[in-house]
Amino acid sequence: MRLYKLYLPAVFALLLGNCTDLEENPVGTLAPEGFFKTEKDVQTVIHGAYGKIAADDYWGRELAAAILLRSDMVDIGNRGTVPARIQINDFNCDGFNAMITRFWPASYAIVGTANTAIEGADFLEDSAGKNALIAEARFIRAFAYFNLIRLFGDIPYIEVAIKDPESVKTISKTPQAEVYNNIIADLEFAKENLPLEHPQNVRSRPSKGTAYCMLSDVYLTLGRWEEAYSNAKWIIDNAANLGYELEADYQDLFIPSKQDGMAEHVFAIEYKGNQNVWPYDYDSHPAFTGMAGADEIAGWDVTVPSLEVYTAWDSRDYRKKVALADSAHFGGVLKPYTEFSIPRPHIAKYWRFLSGTEVDSDNNYAVYRYAEVLLIAAEALNEISGPTPEALAYVDQVRERARNWAGTQTDYPEDVLPGISKDDFRELVLEERRLELSFEFKRWWDIKRRNIGDEVFAGANSLEPHVNFNSDQYLLPIPQTELDLNPNLLPQNPGY
Amino acid sequence: MEQFIPKQSHPKNQTVIKIWKIMRLTVVFLVAIALQVSANSYSQSVTLNAAGITLKEAFIRIEKQTGYSFFINQELLEKAGPVNLALNYASIAEALEQCMKGQRLSYKIKDGIIYIKERERKPQSIRADTTVDVSGRVSDVNGGLYGVSIVVQGTTRGTITGPDGNYSISDVPADAVLVFSFIGMKTQMIRISGRSNIDVMMEEETLGLEELVVVGYGQMKKSDLTGSVSSVTADELMAYPTSQALQALQGRAAGLHVQATNGDPGSAYKIRIRGASSVNSSSDPLIVVDGFPGAFMPASEDIASIEILKDASATAIYGSRGANGVILVTTRSGEAGQTRIEFNTSYSAQNVVKKLDLLHTADFVDYINDMTPGKMDDVAYPDTDWQDKVFQQGNVQNYQLSLSGGSEQARYYISGILYDQKGVILDSRFKRYSILSSVDLEVAKNLKAGVQLLASRDLRNGTVTQEWSGGAGQTGVISATVLSEPTIPVYNEDGTYTTSKLTGLERDNPVAIAKETVIDNVSDNLQANFFGEYQIVPNLKFRSTFGAQYRSSRDGNYLPSSMFGGRSVNGRGYINSGRSTDIINENYFTFDKEINDVHDFSLMAGYSYQSFKSEFWHAQSENFISDAFSYWNLGGGSIAKAPSSSLTESTLSSFYGRVNYILSDRYLITFNARYDGSSRFARNNKWAFFPSGAIAWNIAQESFMEGVPQVSQLKLRASYGMTGNQAIEPYQSLALLGTLPSVVNNNSVVNAVAPQSDANDNLTWESTVQADVGIDLGLFDQRISLTADYYHKKTTDLLFSMPLPKYSGYSSMLKNIGAMLNEGFEFNVSTVNVEGNFTWVTDLNISRNRNEILELPDGRDIFVNVSPGHLVGINNSQILREGQPMGQFYGYVYDGVYQEGDDFLPGGGFEQVAGGEKFRDFNGKDVNGKLTGLPDGQLNADDRTIIGDPNPDFTWGLNNTFKYKGFDLNIFFQGSQGNDLYSFMLLEMELMSGYNNSTVRALDRWTPAHTDTDVPAASTSRSKKSSSRFVYDGSYIRMKNISLGYTLPESFIRGAGMSFARIYVSGQNLLTITDYPGYDPEVSWFGATSNINLGLDYGSYPNAKSVTVGAQIRF
Repeated sequence: MRLYKLYLPAVFALLLGNCTDLEENPVGTLAPEGFFKTEKDVQTVIHGAYGKIAADDYWGRELAAAILLRSDMVDIGNRGTVPARIQINDFNCDGFNAMITRFWPASYAIVGTANTAIEGADFLEDSAGKNALIAEARFIRAFAYFNLIRLFGDIPYIEVAIKDPESVKTISKTPQAEVYNNIIADLEFAKENLPLEHPQNVRSRPSKGTAYCMLSDVYLTLGRWEEAYSNAKWIIDNAANLGYELEADYQDLFIPSKQDGMAEHVFAIEYKGNQNVWPYDYDSHPAFTGMAGADEIAGWDVTVPSLEVYTAWDSRDYRKKVALADSAHFGGVLKPYTEFSIPRPHIAKYWRFLSGTEVDSDNNYAVYRYAEVLLIAAEALNEISGPTPEALAYVDQVRERARNWAGTQTDYPEDVLPGISKDDFRELVLEERRLELSFEFKRWWDIKRRNIGDEVFAGANSLEPHVNFNSDQYLLPIPQTELDLNPNLLPQNPGY
Repeated sequence: MEQFIPKQSHPKNQTVIKIWKIMRLTVVFLVAIALQVSANSYSQSVTLNAAGITLKEAFIRIEKQTGYSFFINQELLEKAGPVNLALNYASIAEALEQCMKGQRLSYKIKDGIIYIKERERKPQSIRADTTVDVSGRVSDVNGGLYGVSIVVQGTTRGTITGPDGNYSISDVPADAVLVFSFIGMKTQMIRISGRSNIDVMMEEETLGLEELVVVGYGQMKKSDLTGSVSSVTADELMAYPTSQALQALQGRAAGLHVQATNGDPGSAYKIRIRGASSVNSSSDPLIVVDGFPGAFMPASEDIASIEILKDASATAIYGSRGANGVILVTTRSGEAGQTRIEFNTSYSAQNVVKKLDLLHTADFVDYINDMTPGKMDDVAYPDTDWQDKVFQQGNVQNYQLSLSGGSEQARYYISGILYDQKGVILDSRFKRYSILSSVDLEVAKNLKAGVQLLASRDLRNGTVTQEWSGGAGQTGVISATVLSEPTIPVYNEDGTYTTSKLTGLERDNPVAIAKETVIDNVSDNLQANFFGEYQIVPNLKFRSTFGAQYRSSRDGNYLPSSMFGGRSVNGRGYINSGRSTDIINENYFTFDKEINDVHDFSLMAGYSYQSFKSEFWHAQSENFISDAFSYWNLGGGSIAKAPSSSLTESTLSSFYGRVNYILSDRYLITFNARYDGSSRFARNNKWAFFPSGAIAWNIAQESFMEGVPQVSQLKLRASYGMTGNQAIEPYQSLALLGTLPSVVNNNSVVNAVAPQSDANDNLTWESTVQADVGIDLGLFDQRISLTADYYHKKTTDLLFSMPLPKYSGYSSMLKNIGAMLNEGFEFNVSTVNVEGNFTWVTDLNISRNRNEILELPDGRDIFVNVSPGHLVGINNSQILREGQPMGQFYGYVYDGVYQEGDDFLPGGGFEQVAGGEKFRDFNGKDVNGKLTGLPDGQLNADDRTIIGDPNPDFTWGLNNTFKYKGFDLNIFFQGSQGNDLYSFMLLEMELMSGYNNSTVRALDRWTPAHTDTDVPAASTSRSKKSSSRFVYDGSYIRMKNISLGYTLPESFIRGAGMSFARIYVSGQNLLTITDYPGYDPEVSWFGATSNINLGLDYGSYPNAKSVTVGAQIRF
C-alpha cells in the first residue's frame, strides 16, 4: 500500500517533468531575426548574391549559355543535346523551356538576396560603409534586372525582401520604362556610394567605375547616347585613378592565372578551380564550348559557332586565333577541326589555359572590360557628333592592342580610316564589338538593341541563318508556371 | 485513487465468494465461473506458490491469473483434497497437473473454459518411483500420424511414431509427462499417470481465435479485435534466408506491399501499408519493436511474430505517426524450463535473375557505322561480353545460434546471427552480425521487470548502381556493363583498365568500376529497452519502459586514380558519417474490470516522451599522392573540398489512452486516442489530437447461430478514426538564412548566406481519416477462414512544397495543401485443403489499392523530373495531377517511325526525317494561350500526356504448404499485376543515338531497306525525350520460394542429443513470369523511400535467384 501511495505521485511528477517545451532551437542554421548586427553580416548576404550569380543556373550555365546561343555567333554543336538548348538557339522555345525555367528563378533569387541585404543594412548605424554596402547590393539588383528586362521585356519588379510570398501573388508586370528607371536609380545610388577603387582590387566586386560602366551600357541600350557617352567618358577620363587599362596581350584576358585583379576588368564573375559544390561555383562553359574527346578538354560540343563564324573572320586577326580552336589533340595526335566530333572550330577562350577541371574552372568572366567602355564611348559619340577623331581613337585603341600578336606587332587590324561616314562607323563599331567581345555574352544584346535580327539571321551574309527568327523573338517567353500562378502577368510575350 | 483502496484487500475474491455461496444453494451442479477475460491480463502463465489450499481456492486464483473459466461439478470440488502448488510462470497445463496431482480428476480445455471431470477409469494406485511401458497410437482426423516426436518431459528420452502412428516407449516413470509434437500441430503434454496405453489425437495448429495478438500498448485475444490487423508468423519469416526481416514480409499479408527496389545486397525495401498516404513526406510505416516506436528491425530469426496494424482503430494509438500503418514486432523470449539450444544454418548459391541480350562486336560495329559511317575502323575487334565479366555466382551464408531457458524467476533468450552475402556483381558484399539478448524477471510478487538488448553491425562493400547521374567518371557498374562497347578488352596491354571512349565522353569499364571503386559502409545499431511492470491492485497495472537507441554509420568512398573518374582529380576520397540517438520513456496504466459476467471493460492510459537527435558530418578531398591511402588519409589529398556537418533535434510528447468494452462477448467497442505534441510542428500548431473508434459484432456468439455449427467464426468490424503523419522535418516551419558553400571572392572561399525559406507558423501534420469495414469468417472449425476488408483512407493537409511565384525569390514554400485518397480491398483466405497423413494448407492474400490525388495546390499539375542527370532532355518524366494516382509517367506518345513521304510534324528538337521518332500531336494552344485539346500541326511541350501508371491493379501472395510424414513442401508465389515500368536504362540503350551498346533491338532498327519496324534509325542527332516508347508493362508473377524439407526421425537424431532436426533445400526467385524487357520487374530507381519515384529503372542491381540448402537443429 505504501509503495502504491508513493509510487503514483512519483510517476505523475515524472510525467509533468517530461512535458518539455516544444520550441525548436536549431544549431547550425541562421534565423533572419537578429542576424544583421554588423557590416560583415550584410556583406555575407551580398556574397550570397555573388554565389547565386556564379551558380550553375545563372552565369555558370543556363543564363550565359542562353545568351550565347541566342546570337548569330554561337550555334548548337551536338544536336543530340538537351532540346531546351536547341529551342533557344533555333527560336522555337516556349514557356516550358528548361533553360528559362532555371535562370528566371535564379535571377529573382539574386534579386531577393540583394533585397535582403539592402533591408538588412537598415539595421546598421549610418555610415559610409553602410551606404557602400547598400550601393553594392543595389548594383547587384540592377545587374540582375538589366539582364531580365532585356530577356523578357515587362517583368514583375520586386524591391523589398519578401516575408510572405503570398503577398506578391497577384502583382502585375512593371513596364520596361519603369524598370529601367529603377535600374538607373540603383546605379546612380551605386555611383554615389561605391568606392573609387575595387575593394582590395577585387574585380568581382563593383567600384564606382563599375556603376558608371553599367549605366553607360543601360543608356546605350536605351539609345540615350548623351548619357551613355558621358558615363563612359567619365571612366575613360579617370581610368588611371580607377585602375583600368587595356591588357597588352589579348590572350592574357583568358588566362585564369592572370585574371585576378586584371586591370582591364571593370566587373567580372569569379570562379575558383576545384571548388564547386554544385550548383555553386559551377562553370560549365569550358565543357560547353569544348570538343568531345580532345586531350585539351573533355568538351560537350554544346555551344559551338557555325563554320561561317570561322571562315568569315579574317585570319590575320589575332583575336580569331585566341577565340577559336581549329585543331586539337586526340590521343596525342593533332587533328584539324574537320576531324572533331562536331567538325567545326570550337570556342577556345574558356579552356585553352584551363586551370581546374572542365566544370570547375578558375576562369573569371568579364561582364565589363575596359575595351567595351571604349567601344561604348565610340558608338555613343558617333550617334551624338558623328565619327569624330575622338570616337575613332577609342576604336583604334582597341585595334592597336589586337595587333599585338603575342608580343609580335602585326598590321592587322588597321586603324579606322578617317573620313568614314556616320553610318559606316556605326556599322564598324558594331562589328568591332562582335569580334573584340566574341563569345563574351554581348552579341545577342547588340543584335537586339540595334534591331538587326532580320539582317543577321536571314541576310545573305548571315553567319547562322534561322528561318524562325522574327521580331517577337527579341523577347523570351515568361515561364508558363509563373503565368499559371499569377494570371495578372498575362498576356505572355507575343509570339509564344 | 483512494476509492480503490478498500477493494484492495480482495475485491475479486469477494465477488467470487458470493458466487460460490450461491452455488452451494443451487441444486444445479454445473456452474461456470467466468471471470473477467481482459486483453491485458489474459495470460497463459500461472504463478502461484501455496501449500495446503483447497482446490477451489487454487482454481479461483488460477482463474484470476489466466482468465480461464472452470466448469466443475460442485460435488467433485467439495470432495477434492488439499493442493500444494509451486508454480512460477507455469503453463496452464502444468498448473492443472499440479492441481490434479493425487486427485481423481481429469481436465479438458476448450474455448477458454477448463472442464474438470472425474477420471473415467480408476487408475491403480501408482507410486512415483514405479516405471511403466507406454504404447499407443498418435493420429489426427485422418488416421495414424507418422514421425510424431514423443519426449519424456525433462529428459532427452523419446521416440517417434511409426508409419501407422504407433509408438512405444519403455521404462518411463509412472507420473512422467509425455510431450507429443509434430510440425504444424499443437504440441500436447500428457501425464502418464500409470497408464500403459495412451492414444493421442493431434490437432492442427491454426491461428486460433484464442491466440493473443499484440496491439499497441497491450495484447488482445484475436477474437476480441475490432481493428484490422494481419499477423505474420515466425515460420513465414524464416521460410528463406533474408538480409532483413522486412524482406521476409513480402507477399505475406494483405494490404502490406513490400518491394525490392534494387538488388544490391543490403539495400532498402519499400514498405507501404494500404498505399502511400503522402506525396512529399515519408509514407514508411512506423516500426515498433517490443513497444519501442521507431526501433530498429531485428533479424527474422529473432522475431516471434509480426503484426501489421492497418486501420485507424489499430494505429491511432500511435497518433501523429500512425497514418502509414504500424508494424509491431515481438521478439523471441525465453521460456522457463530446460535450456533450449537452436541452430539454424543455410547456404545459398546465387545467380543474376536474367541477362540482357546485347549486341556483340560484329553487329555493334555495323550499328555504329550505320549511325556515323566510318566511325569504327574495319579492323578485328575483341568481343567482350561485359555481363560475363561483371556478374559472378554469389552466395549467402546464414547462421543463427540461440540459447533460451531459465527459471520461473528469470528467463532468458540469447541469440547471435551471422549473415554473409557475396553479391552477384564483382566485389559487392554484405555482412551482418547481430545479437539479441532478453531477460525477463519476476522481481517480486507484483513486480516484473525485463531488459532487452539488440546490437548489430552491417558491413557493406558496395558498388555503384542506380546512380542519380551517370556520364563520364560517374557511371555505375550496371549502366557501364550494358552501355560499354564490346569492342574493347578489359585490360590494356600494360595491365591498366581500358576505358570506353567511343561516345567522346570517356567512361570507366564496368570491371574497373566494380573492382576499383571503394565503397565501404558500416552501420551499427544498439538498442536497449528496459521495462518494469507493477501490479498495483489485481485490476490495475502500471508499466514503465525506458529505451534508448543509438545508430551510427560511416560511408567511406574512394575513387582511385587507376580509374578514369579518379584520374582527372588524382584520386577522390570522402567520408560521410553520422550518428543518431533516440530516447524514449513510456508510462501507462492498464485497468480491467468485468461486471456481472456481461460487461467487460479494459482501459489503458499513458504518457510518453521521446527525443531524437541526429548528427552528420562529411569531409572530402582530392589529389592524393597515393591511392593506397584510400579514404583513410583525407589530409593527404592536396585539394580539400568544403566539409559539412549538421545537427537536428526533435521531441515528441504524448498522452494516449484506450477503452475497450465488450458486451456479452458479442458486441465490442474500442476507442483510442492520442494527443501528440511535436517540436517539428510550427509555432501555432504544436499539439495534435488523433481519435479513433471501432465496433465489432461477434455474430457467431449469438444464440441464433448455435444451429449453424459450420460457422466457427463470424465477425463484422467497422472502424473510423484519424491518424497523422509527422511529415515535417525539424526546422521546416522556420524562416532560415541558408549558408552557401564555395562562394568565391578574391580567389578564396568566403562566408555567404542567402534567404532559404520563409516562416510558416501554421505548418502542421498531415491528417489521415480512415474508415474500414471488415469481416472475419471461419468455417468448419476454422478449416476455411476468410478475412476481407474495405478501407477508405483520405489524407488531407498534405505537405506540399507550394510553387511560389519565382519572382518572389523563393521557389517554393511548404504548406498544408492537398488531399489524397487511398482506397482498397484486402482479402486473406486460408484453407486446410487436406488433413491427415497428407496435409495441404493454402494461404492466399490479394490487395488492391487505388491511389488518387484529390487536391493539389491551386489544382495545378506538378511536374517531376527525376530522370538520371546525364540523360539531359528528358525533363518532367512524371506528373502529379488531380484525379490521378501518384507517380504517373509523363511525356510524348510514341507513334513509331517516320517513313519516307510522311508529313513530318515540325517542332523544336523533334526529328523530321524518315527513320526518325514520330510523336503524336494532339494538343495545341488557341490565340489566347489556352490548350485546345486538338492537334495544332506542330510538336511542342503541349503534346505531352500521361504515358503510364506505375501503380499495380493488385498485388498478391499465394502460399501452399504440403506435408507428408516427415516431408514438407512449401511453394510461395508473389506477384503484381497491372503496373507500368519506365526504363531510363533502355531509353539510353535503345535510343538508337549515341555511341553506346544497345540491346539486340538495334538489329531491328529502321533502315531504308527495313522500314517495317518501330525502332527508329540509328542517328547522331536525336535528342532524348520522355516518351511512351520506354514504358512497359511491369506485371509479374514470381516464385519467391520453393522449399522441400525433411524432419529427421527422432530415433535417428536422438543419439546426437537432438530433439529436432530438419534439413531442407529451397530455391528463391527461380521462376519469374513477366513481359518487362529489363533485368528485373522488381525495381524502383531511387524509390525506396519516395512516394513519387515509382516504377523507374536505371542502372539497377538485378535481383538474384538462389538455391539454398539449410538445416534447423534443436537440442
